Amino acid sequence: MIPTTYYLALSAILFSIGVIGVLVRRNAIVIFMSIELMLNSANLAFVAFAREFGTLDGQLMVFFVMTVAAAEVAVGLALIVAIFRSKASIDVDAVNLLKG
Amino acid sequence: MTAELIIFVLLAVIAVAAALGMLLSSNAIYSALFLVVNFGVVATFYLLLGAPFIAMVQVTVYAGAIMVLFLFVIMLLGAERLRHPNQVLSWQQPLAVVLVMALLGFAGYVVSMQGLASPPVDVANTVSYGSPAAIGELLFREYLFPFEATSLLLLSAMVGVVVLTAVDARRGVSRGVSRDRRS
Amino acid sequence: MSIANFHPNDLLAILPELALVVLAGVIMTMDIVLAENRKRLLGLTTAVGSFVIIAAAVIFSQPNGELIWGGMISNDMVAFIFRLVFIFAGGITALLSVDVKGVAHKGDYYAIILGAVVGMCFMALAADIIMLYLAVETTGIAGYVLAGYVHRSSRSAEAGLKYFLFGAATSAVMLYGLSLVYGFTGETNLTAIASVLASGKVGISVILASAILILVGVGFKIAIVPFHFWAPDVYEGAPTPVTGFISTAAKTAGFAVLIRVFITGLTASEYWLPILVALAALTMTIGNLLALAQKNIKRLLAYSSIAHAGYALVAFVALSELGVAATVFYLMVYVITNLAAFGVVILVSRSGAGEEIAGYAGMSRRSPYLALAMLVAFLSLAGMPPLAGFFGKFYVFAAAMKAGLVWLALVGVLNAIIGLYYYLVVLKVVYVSPPQEGALAIEVPRAYSFALVILSVGIVLLGTAASPWFEWALSAAQGIF
Repeated sequence: MIPTTYYLALSAILFSIGVIGVLVRRNAIVIFMSIELMLNSANLAFVAFAREFGTLDGQLMVFFVMTVAAAEVAVGLALIVAIFRSKASIDVDAVNLLKG
Repeated sequence: MTAELIIFVLLAVIAVAAALGMLLSSNAIYSALFLVVNFGVVATFYLLLGAPFIAMVQVTVYAGAIMVLFLFVIMLLGAERLRHPNQVLSWQQPLAVVLVMALLGFAGYVVSMQGLASPPVDVANTVSYGSPAAIGELLFREYLFPFEATSLLLLSAMVGVVVLTAVDARRGVSRGVSRDRRS
Repeated sequence: MSIANFHPNDLLAILPELALVVLAGVIMTMDIVLAENRKRLLGLTTAVGSFVIIAAAVIFSQPNGELIWGGMISNDMVAFIFRLVFIFAGGITALLSVDVKGVAHKGDYYAIILGAVVGMCFMALAADIIMLYLAVETTGIAGYVLAGYVHRSSRSAEAGLKYFLFGAATSAVMLYGLSLVYGFTGETNLTAIASVLASGKVGISVILASAILILVGVGFKIAIVPFHFWAPDVYEGAPTPVTGFISTAAKTAGFAVLIRVFITGLTASEYWLPILVALAALTMTIGNLLALAQKNIKRLLAYSSIAHAGYALVAFVALSELGVAATVFYLMVYVITNLAAFGVVILVSRSGAGEEIAGYAGMSRRSPYLALAMLVAFLSLAGMPPLAGFFGKFYVFAAAMKAGLVWLALVGVLNAIIGLYYYLVVLKVVYVSPPQEGALAIEVPRAYSFALVILSVGIVLLGTAASPWFEWALSAAQGIF
């Protein structure tokens, strides 16, 4: 059996990559994908912990997170499409009508 | 034991490589495809962890529905390429480095720390653990309230998406289309 | 815990939420049925419905302090007060939207507001991390849509996108923190988590790491430094009624989660408390200093609302019954006051005077009653007696002093003085500066004067008769310790 800690380490690495993506990438869609990666790494941690305790609550949480992610993706992409229609750019720095 | 470890390491390397590929590609389509690979690998981990139902949902919802939506939007908008792929805000890069060092330090600490609350139970071989029946029972007993609450979440997301993508009825659909073309 | 011991009273406990969902359905149906020139009824129905639901909640849904629905929600007094505040804020927001271009005649707009209110109610009720995460996301998603609602205006769409990207990223960080909490305690219920932590089996570093990660998500919701970057832009770009709603109700909902997670759940306070104390001081100071330089009224109110989150946090870090009561009372006051301020802002920008502070010149001569409402709201925000804001700050600083955080209370008082300055600068423009040539009286539709009268009376009432309200908050705080 693979120890839970290995999974945790992997999930932490994936989460870190997601955080880097959110902070350094400028394309709204790629930032958004990085957020999905972060959610996914949290899910991996939940499932690994669920096995650790032999309970299913962690898996249930993942189930809910996926539902939320699906809804979030729909709304997020709709916003990106709306912005693209009015500005033809999804470069976050080009979103400069409002000051940072 | 060792065979399992080899599989784990191989898959983990693929997962990290795919995540890095997502991060580093300048083409958003490649990013999305790398992310699909990552999600697929994570689904395999779910199988190893005794969560076949979650693995199935991961493939259908995440790798299937969500990433297809991403690809669809990228292609619809023609937004594959960035104009300045390497331009980053000055203060964000050091912040990212600091945060990531902290996170990886934490990961290292967790790995070095041997004992968690209890030793892993070998649940992966138990048939009922993580089965759709077990999940369903839990979902409709203990987690009934959150389950019902998700219906509200999905409903407001749905209404929201319709609102956000609606083209003004009075000004006519043609206007919206021409605006899309111009962009 | 199982749902097997279900009791019909459990349904009564969530009556307000059920009624809000039904109301949203009614609004959507009316949107289809009503003729275009009668669409104003949508907002009025939402508002009246909300107030009826508040009355029904007070009569039928008094809390009993128990965990219900399989331990998913906690039917206690804190949740009850917060829920009433959210429903009130939702109703007032609907009332303040009925004549705003772009949102007024849209049934889905009001329905999404009601959806957000239900999400906030769930945030206040949640006693389980799964429920908590779902509630935060329900509120968040509705909020993103509302901020980007007038998506043909690129300002609003950008506000929506910015709110969305910050919100989604911070809630993902929070989720990771929740996964650590689950992983090292094996529990999802906050009370159970607390008892595992009390046994001392979980290491310091893990508690600290998960507390920081969760704080990122909550910090975004309540817009404290350093998670405040989104606030001014989103507040400026979003439709003004939505700004009022996000800056009051959504912020308060974040505090409800803060109380749940950090007082009920992560009880090992010695690890995370210093961080929150530092953030409280920073939030007040940075919020107020940045507010000084603002020329746009919405940005000014955005920075001032950051500072107000700092004041509420000052009471919270006292970690006592008095502290939580002061936080709850302060938030009640803040919601009412800030909604009044935004009500005036909506009316002025409707009249074509724009959102720059200069556009408010001589308002006292053009519309004396509106200027009076603004005077009451801004003086209360500044914390002048005998208005509600004074007692809010008084209890906050008293709680901090009693907990031995004298220096923090002192920083708070200094900040209140800075705050007084920029609120008075705006009032000076309103009362002293001469009006622009040909400026007419600002039109105040009846729905707005009704809302502003309710809010102003509320501000005076919470000020002159503060003690029964504070006793109420205190009884709520006693329920969670």
